[in-house]
This record gives sequence, C-alpha cells and structure tokens, in this order.
Amino acid sequence: MRIIYPTDDGGVAVIVPAAECGLSIEAIAAKDVPAGKPFKIVDVSDIPTDRTFRNAWEYTA
Amino acid sequence: MAIVLDGTNGIDTPDLASAGPITGTTGTFSGNVTLGSSVLATPSGSAPSYTARAWVNFNGTGTVAIRASGNVSSITDNGVGDYTVNFTTAMPDANYSVCATSSDITSAAGATSLFVSDSNAPTTGAVRVISTYSTNANNGFRDSIICSVSVFR
Repeated sequence: MRIIYPTDDGGVAVIVPAAECGLSIEAIAAKDVPAGKPFKIVDVSDIPTDRTFRNAWEYTA
Repeated sequence: MAIVLDGTNGIDTPDLASAGPITGTTGTFSGNVTLGSSVLATPSGSAPSYTARAWVNFNGTGTVAIRASGNVSSITDNGVGDYTVNFTTAMPDANYSVCATSSDITSAAGATSLFVSDSNAPTTGAVRVISTYSTNANNGFRDSIICSVSVFR
C-alpha cells in the first residue's frame, strides 16, 4: 500500500510504509501526512514505475 | 549494588522473561553480551559508543521501496531524488547527526550523493534528504538505487 497527498508545489508525494515499524497504514498516514493535507491510500500498482516525468505527477482527489 | 558480568559467570534464572525487565541506572558488562541471536561486542578502548537511533535502506528508483529499516515508519517520495525519512519514535531534539549515502549501480560515470536538504531543516520527526548525480554535463536531482540513512543522537 501507498499513501499519496498533494504537495505545495502542485505535485504529489508518495509515502512508502516501513514493514518493520509495526504501525498500520492508517496510523502511518495520521503521523506522516502533513497536517491538513488530504490523502488517499492506494495500491502499490497504482503508482507508476516509470519515473521519467515524476515531478509532473499530480494528485487527483 | 552493581551487578558485574565478567564473562565467566552467567545469570542463572529459570525464566528471565517472566521476571520482567531489568532496570537500573548503571551496569558494567565485560566481554560480549548476547541479545537473542545477536552479539553486542565490547569495543576496544574507552571511548563511548553510540548506536543509531534510526536507519533505513531503500530503493529510490522505479517502485520506491524500503529494503530494511529501524525506527522508521515510512519514507516519503517527494519527487526525483527527493525523499523524507519519517521516524516511528521521534528524536529528543533536532540536533542529531545524519549519515546519508547513495549508490546508482547503473552509472558508468559520475557519482551520486545523498545529503540533508538545504531548504528543509531536520525535525524531531523526520529528515529530508536529496540525491544528486554529478558529471561534467549533468548536475541535478537523481533517483538512486541504494539510499542509506542513519541517525545518531
């Protein structure tokens, strides 16, 4: 699973959970998504693997 | 009263786990200490030793993923060569030391480097690191295959 949220510059940040941390994906979202930011929990397969245009990715609500 | 473990006599208890945690303010251990299957070797000399308070090894390319970590809840992929390491348990303050390295094993020329972001000061909860690649023709952010970050405090 991954957590995505919009960045201040119009891009998108992708949070990669650490398997060893013992926290749920929801707990990681609550802790690591900046306060006030909307976010979504998505499958790993939803994140493109081609990062050629990584900085052009956008968050869609 | 201090308990001295000198390597010649062990603590004989039928079930140490059920006895609860060993607490105290000081202790002296001579020789090696075994925790589970890991051995903590006694260093030579008298200089104090400090262990990492957090560490992570991750792949910053393709499907960005954490290979292994300790006291890290997640990393945030902010963009090309731009990552944030988020701590599970916060540091006591932001005056910690960060050791960051990167490697792009596909690069035939140039070198990658990983360093603390100039524009984002470390906090007690996270540190942002930047990966760059330098050649004569190209200087800029770059994803790295092996990114390692260790935090000492």
